[in-house]
Amino acid sequence: MIEINQISKSFDRKVALDGLSFQIPKGQIFGLLGPNGAGKTTLIRILNQIILPDNGTIRVDGKLLNESHWKNFGYLPEERGLYKSMKVIDMLVFLAKLRGMSNYDALKNTNYWLDKFDIKEWSNKYIASLSKGMSQKVQFIAAVVHEPEYLILDEPLSGFDPINVELILNELKLMKSEGKSIILSTHNMQSVEEICDDVVLLHKSKLIASDTVENLRSSVKNGLFSIRFSGNMIALANALWTDFELIETKELGNNRFQVLVRKRGERTFEDLINNLMGKLTLEAVEEKLPSMQEVFMSLITKEEVLHAE
Amino acid sequence: MRNSLIIAKRELRERLENRSFIAMLFIGPLLILAFIYFLLQFGDQGKTNMKVLIVDPSGLLENKITSQESKALTYYFYDDYIEIAEFKDGKRFQEFDAMIELNEKVLINKKVFLFYREAPSVDLKMKMKFEVERRVEEVMIEQFTQLSVNAFRQIKQPLNIDFRSVYDPKNEADNSSSWVGFFFGLIILFFISLFGMTVLRGIAKDKSNRIVELMLASVKSRDMMLGKIMGIGWAALLQLFIWTLLVGLGLFVFKSFFFKDIFDASSFEGIQMSEEVKNEILTNSSIAKYNAFIDLIYHRINFWVMIPHFVLLFVLSYLFYASFFSAIGATAGTESDGQQFVIPIFVVLMVSVYAGYMSVYWPDSQLAHLFLYLPFTSAMVILINISNGFAIGSYVETMLSALILIVSSGLFLSIAARLYKNGILIYGHSLRLRNLFQWLKKS
Repeated sequence: MIEINQISKSFDRKVALDGLSFQIPKGQIFGLLGPNGAGKTTLIRILNQIILPDNGTIRVDGKLLNESHWKNFGYLPEERGLYKSMKVIDMLVFLAKLRGMSNYDALKNTNYWLDKFDIKEWSNKYIASLSKGMSQKVQFIAAVVHEPEYLILDEPLSGFDPINVELILNELKLMKSEGKSIILSTHNMQSVEEICDDVVLLHKSKLIASDTVENLRSSVKNGLFSIRFSGNMIALANALWTDFELIETKELGNNRFQVLVRKRGERTFEDLINNLMGKLTLEAVEEKLPSMQEVFMSLITKEEVLHAE
Repeated sequence: MRNSLIIAKRELRERLENRSFIAMLFIGPLLILAFIYFLLQFGDQGKTNMKVLIVDPSGLLENKITSQESKALTYYFYDDYIEIAEFKDGKRFQEFDAMIELNEKVLINKKVFLFYREAPSVDLKMKMKFEVERRVEEVMIEQFTQLSVNAFRQIKQPLNIDFRSVYDPKNEADNSSSWVGFFFGLIILFFISLFGMTVLRGIAKDKSNRIVELMLASVKSRDMMLGKIMGIGWAALLQLFIWTLLVGLGLFVFKSFFFKDIFDASSFEGIQMSEEVKNEILTNSSIAKYNAFIDLIYHRINFWVMIPHFVLLFVLSYLFYASFFSAIGATAGTESDGQQFVIPIFVVLMVSVYAGYMSVYWPDSQLAHLFLYLPFTSAMVILINISNGFAIGSYVETMLSALILIVSSGLFLSIAARLYKNGILIYGHSLRLRNLFQWLKKS
């Protein structure tokens, strides 16, 4: 587990992080979210010991963060950079050795990952000759080649096509299942929804939310429900009565419909079920939680309003 | 340190895989050897055989100058005036390479003109000058004095005042040995400039392609900087070693096969000429200078002493100067931005050259002593002192100076490491002195 305790950092007079405290549990995919300039990169650099905090402490598995942790951390920076004059295999072995691996292990692991991503034939290509997507893959391998316990990924999906996005996401899920912790900083909210367990939201150098993805989505839910049924729309309108408002209708054919309704007042999911039961042939009813994109926008807007007041 | 070594090995490997570096390993010494070869082969390229027409209407030198047995110079006499245009274009004069014009006033105005079609070699010039001058002189002695030629020439010898140090009354340590140290010092400065800029460019490149972010997540900034400096330094040492080896080998081949005659001073004995002419030529001609150069290279340099000191001082000076180059590379917003800040370093390097010059000519001056203790200039001065051999007390001074250089290198490396750490992740700015002071103060 990583415990971040009262971390602050300023550059000249600009406060980049203002007393952040939270914990990153082991074996989770942890989302680090926030708009540009919120302080995510500063925090990531502190976690990677690239820069030191002005105040506060970070503990990794109970011990203060120090140089011996380097070998346990993997890092994929947002600003990608590799030595263009090096061959893929040499570059990866070099970076693995810097993380404390022996030459033998570095070479073995590099070959394992090149095989796994089915890019063994790139081994002797020069980095300069790789396309952006290829180079992203190499950079991802560079972050994981030394088998780190903690993996910090800053916008890991940018530059990848959908197939490779899937590949990377599956790889992250697999690592999580192996008990590794992944800290994911991204603006791709769909992937956050898909793979993150806990998230923190930073805004203007402060922590404004910290919870599981589900709890955050629930916390800003807007009373929308999705219903799939067989029957007719008049029967639906009668069932909803004045308790729920019809927002969106989609005809699926053969008298089947998919609709979106919003509750009125203090109505609940149970009220909706009670209203519909016996009046329509229900196929599915579910509460429509807001997307992480909406959660993100909602929390930031709320924070902006509070700040303005 | 382990990571510094890994980075240093990568830097060295990058250079060894760089075609232009490999090419320069061989092109550099080849160019030097080619230069020496042309110097030896074509340094004295003037005409070496001449037919000379002495225009002597008053018959001043008739039968007084005879042609040499070597036939390098053949003299002919003409007892009337010839216009230059006539000599230049006239058919009957075309066979002559040069015309020496002795008018009747030569004994008064002591002015003789030699008109040539193709410039004579230095040796022929000397011979002609010497022979005409001597013969005219003999005529003047006969006409204007009662003295014998020998007596006149004894009187004519100029007074020779020989300046000698009280510490070296026999003048055993001439400054040609100092030039050896100066030359070695120049090599150090040359390589520092060359590879210092490589350090700067390498760091600026790492910064601009953003790999520093990835590297600094696994290496201390100080170790990263040290690795870079070490790796490029190894490349410099390797280049230096190969250059020395190839140039040394080339000089040996020149000596043994190509220029046996020039390298052998006794070869002058074979040429038929008077002792005076020989002395004159040996003192003034370029061949004599080559011989002095050869004597310096082959006999005066104590390579077993010079090379270890040279390597040690090269390493220390390189570390000292590379700290500045790396600090600038890390703190500059762009590579071109950094190059502006390099100018002061090059000025200091030029001061080192001046320090060497001072130490060769005025080794006991206060300024030379000051330069010995300044880490910017000490390598050059120490090498000059070593090449001269140590006088009593100077060994201690030199070791003290080396110690100052070691301490300064360590100090400036740690200062550079701080600037490196605080500047390496700052992008896209225009470097100002204010930034440097700020980052220096920051922990």
